[in-house]
Amino acid sequence: MKVTKLKKKSMNKTLNQGLFIVGVMILWELVARAQWFPVLLFPSLSSVFVNLLTELVNGEIGGRLLFSLYLIGAGLGLAVVTAAVTATSALISPIISDWVQALMAVLHPLPGIAVLPIIILWLGTGPQSIIAVIWFSSIWPLITNLHTGLRSVPATQMEAGRNLGLKGIALIRFILLPGAFPYILTGLRVAWARAWQASVAAEMVFGASGGEGGLGWFIYKKRFFMEIPSVFGGMIVIILVGLLVERLCFEWVEVRTIRRWGMTSE
Amino acid sequence: MKKMFWVLLCLVLVTGWSFAPRIHSAPVEEIKIAGQFGLVYAPLMVAQSRKIFEKYGLKPVWKEYGSGGAVREALISGEVDVGFMGIPPFLIGWDKGCQWKAAMGFVVVPVGLVTYDPNIKSLKDFKAGDKIAVPSPGSVQHILLAMAAEKELGSATALDNNIVAMPHPDAAAALISKKGIKAHFTTPPYLFEELSQPGFHLVVDDITIFGHPFSFNVGVASERFHDRRPVVYSSFVNAISEAMAWINANKKAVANLLAPEFKLTPEKTMAYLTWEGMNYTTAPYGLMGFAEFMQKAGYIKKAPQQMEEIAFENVLAFVGSRAGGRSEIEKIQYK
Repeated sequence: MKVTKLKKKSMNKTLNQGLFIVGVMILWELVARAQWFPVLLFPSLSSVFVNLLTELVNGEIGGRLLFSLYLIGAGLGLAVVTAAVTATSALISPIISDWVQALMAVLHPLPGIAVLPIIILWLGTGPQSIIAVIWFSSIWPLITNLHTGLRSVPATQMEAGRNLGLKGIALIRFILLPGAFPYILTGLRVAWARAWQASVAAEMVFGASGGEGGLGWFIYKKRFFMEIPSVFGGMIVIILVGLLVERLCFEWVEVRTIRRWGMTSE
Repeated sequence: MKKMFWVLLCLVLVTGWSFAPRIHSAPVEEIKIAGQFGLVYAPLMVAQSRKIFEKYGLKPVWKEYGSGGAVREALISGEVDVGFMGIPPFLIGWDKGCQWKAAMGFVVVPVGLVTYDPNIKSLKDFKAGDKIAVPSPGSVQHILLAMAAEKELGSATALDNNIVAMPHPDAAAALISKKGIKAHFTTPPYLFEELSQPGFHLVVDDITIFGHPFSFNVGVASERFHDRRPVVYSSFVNAISEAMAWINANKKAVANLLAPEFKLTPEKTMAYLTWEGMNYTTAPYGLMGFAEFMQKAGYIKKAPQQMEEIAFENVLAFVGSRAGGRSEIEKIQYK
């Protein structure tokens, strides 16, 4: 009974959201067709989708997307490894924990894009600089959440685990990581969003990666050639990828872990 | 008699005082100009400091933008009445349906591709990883690179994967410190600064690529502005012409005036103002040549068949239309 009610509620929510989005799209098309703004700056949604289709067919946007995903994968992957190592050492040593907290307080508020000029000076232009900016942008939410998450596991649960005979790796695998998992997942979600922001912003502010560029470079280039429908097309692809990853990866993991373990309120 | 004299004097003074301002100032018309800064924009800086616009009854309202792309967007949205941009960005807008035309040529300057690498003597020597900085995709520098690539390498897009978009100051700093980029397609004063470094040399220059000099920028106005406010339009064109002519006649004074703004010594500013190839002129050069190449290479879909499509009447009258074959000044509109 309760389950069907819940399902119905979430169905209603999806329907409601779907209707809202369709409404906004219709409004956009109407405003564009009324030509209150110059068509060059405010193209109709239909022209945006027609353009997106041709870009998809000629393959440019697909290649740019793959390159963006590669940059983000590399930067985010590095950030996850660094964050895991840092948070683990902070867990073991209180001194390192203090250092990490100090670093977080100082560097977390700094937007990744603000360090780009320095990164370009040190590493030059090109993919390595973009990866470095992504790494810098996504590492702080990861460390913050890992650090808090690992510390939030109640001592009683750890003791219970020890009483059951768990030690070392097993204790971490069965008690510590599951206990911290809601935080870890939040950290990954924030880091993923930040990584996208950083990659697109870096490519648009400095056009730093040139010919071997991702979607940021695509948008940047289309802006200068005044192909505004394609600029919107690039944005739509980013939105779609974000939705897809959220639905296919994060929710998939969430349903199989923290929701199954009864760790969320929903 | 004496009383009469005083009355007359008063009358003369009063009428003189009340008429005098009216003779000098027509109703003041506001004009919004996308202002830019630098050696190329010296005429704007001169006009501003010598109050040349005011002389023509204009009240200039300056708006600053970070890039040529932003200037173009400001013109389209009507934030500014007039702006300056390279011929290629102007043509890209025209191709996409912007209702605008060229109101004047705006300065001829040398443009060139500079490298520090002694092994790079021509475009053939660029390897896949060698980065070439240009201000932005679709800029004069990018299109010139494409022209050169078509001529030397057989394809306009041969070097498109080598380009990085960087603002001039950043790219100049990167090139001089030999960090990240191999070459920089640039303009004065960065061109002069880079070439004065030991070992830095030109790979290719504008004249070799285009065949003759071309307007680095054009003054652009919307047809709406031109049609609705013809007096303001022509006053603007005249004011810029006066500033150009004043620069050519008073280089020394210009150097002294602009040196503090550029944070350079007057001597260095003078050297830059008088560098070979610098030409402060409102004559248009190369309008059609860019259009034909860009259409052929696919950067724009249509090219203008006649100058009328992309230039206002003052430019058309200047270029003229010689019966029985193109005149010299018509020829330099083409590549």
